[in-house]
Amino acid sequence: MMELLKKTPLNKVHHELRARMIDFAGWQLPVWYTSILEEHRAVRSGAGIFDVSDMGRVWITGRKAAAFLDRLLTKRAGRLEIGSSQLCLLCLEDGGILDDLLAYRVGTDQYLIVWNAGDIEQKLGWLQRWAGSDPDIVIQDKTADTVMVAVQGPAVCQLRNLKGVCHLPRFGHTRARIEDVEVLAARTGYTGEDGFEIIADAANALRLWGSFMRRGVKPCGLGARDSLRLEAGMLLYGRDMDKSTNPFEAGLGWLVEMDNGDFIGKSALLEIKRQGVKRKHIGFRMTGQGIARLGYKIVRCGQEVGQVTSGGYAPTLNANIGFGHVPIELATIGTDIEIMIRNKPVAAKVVNRQFYKRGAQNEPPRI
Amino acid sequence: MNPQEYKYTPEHEWICPESKDKGKVGLADYAQSQLGDIVFLYLPAPGTQVKQGKKMGEVESVKAVSDIFAPVSGQVLEVNQTVIDEPGLVNKDPYGAGWLLRLELSKPPELDALMDSDEYDKLIAQLSEEESEQTED
Repeated sequence: MMELLKKTPLNKVHHELRARMIDFAGWQLPVWYTSILEEHRAVRSGAGIFDVSDMGRVWITGRKAAAFLDRLLTKRAGRLEIGSSQLCLLCLEDGGILDDLLAYRVGTDQYLIVWNAGDIEQKLGWLQRWAGSDPDIVIQDKTADTVMVAVQGPAVCQLRNLKGVCHLPRFGHTRARIEDVEVLAARTGYTGEDGFEIIADAANALRLWGSFMRRGVKPCGLGARDSLRLEAGMLLYGRDMDKSTNPFEAGLGWLVEMDNGDFIGKSALLEIKRQGVKRKHIGFRMTGQGIARLGYKIVRCGQEVGQVTSGGYAPTLNANIGFGHVPIELATIGTDIEIMIRNKPVAAKVVNRQFYKRGAQNEPPRI
Repeated sequence: MNPQEYKYTPEHEWICPESKDKGKVGLADYAQSQLGDIVFLYLPAPGTQVKQGKKMGEVESVKAVSDIFAPVSGQVLEVNQTVIDEPGLVNKDPYGAGWLLRLELSKPPELDALMDSDEYDKLIAQLSEEESEQTED
């Protein structure tokens, strides 16, 4: 039996736009509308809109909300200013990553966390387990009652319907009205461009989406979401990291505040840090011809040394790039590695993971 | 939509017979629409012997990699260098400028096993119907 796919409040719109739909973490979502390349380029040069309603939206409220999140997250939620948000990790006791998420402080005792679509039951169970029956910690998953869109690209602040939120700093958020729809808008994203992530009641989904369609914002699917984040050096949970990966291996040590009281996983992470990591998540650029994909082997002198965790064609760079795990001694930038493609080793080089940087000159590779 | 004089495989390759024993080969429109933006083609070099129904190359789109099968047996005479340099031509013009290679057929009667355009149109209609049923569920 095929499991029934969850549908976002914008599902009908995607079908009307004749999008190609796929199953993503149990959700039926568009992989592209017209073309991944066109959608990718629209976000790099203008503006695109994504239905990101699959992302989980969980409200944590109550008198002990801040203390609760401080205990669970790798960055201190209690220090976060109201109207701001931060990227952080949810770690297990052994330091393995359960998810990466954005924590927004909406009020003194009000937080919103936005996390990945996968393993929702397990993650909610984890929160419940640590909250226990404390009446001062209230956990509400509002994913099904709300819609979330990401509007991304250098031209977003030329859109008149976003005029009211363009004063926000990066990671800032505010309640606002867009096309008479009450929203929570945050200056965040997963594309490496300027942009907003906007949450509203599910009932207003079509109105919100339509407001951007009318202004010529290009609908973009999961394909472009993936190629854009890869170029921008952003990791995807479930591929580039999972429960068996610790933040230091993942190159996400900057999301861990060791002076942050006692959070779950801290003692394990201190020990891991003391011992030093044995493998590392790296970026690579193909210097030979071929595209590396998830699961391909990374080799050196005929020996398997690691695996590709994300890979593909980078439209903005016109190069083939990827991420993977390798032993720490091979993680230095400039190291030559090979990727097994069609049973043949193809040359690649370890490079900085941030392949694309907004505003920087991204010259095509000189190979 | 699918040219009448071409022959088609169930894996969505086409062959356009140019003479008794020569033909141009490419990917059908349905294949390119399923794959999305094509960014890399891996094709056999001229001189290579290929066998009907066997893998002879690969096509990489932004999203995925997929095999290309030989529609008939024979020897590769020529590879379309233009499409190697600009793989997006397969998306733009699958039956024209996006052709992949030319073959010298070693067994011309193999062509009879392929679908003509009427049969192939029916297959595509059927596949499209199944697809829309799936997505509307």
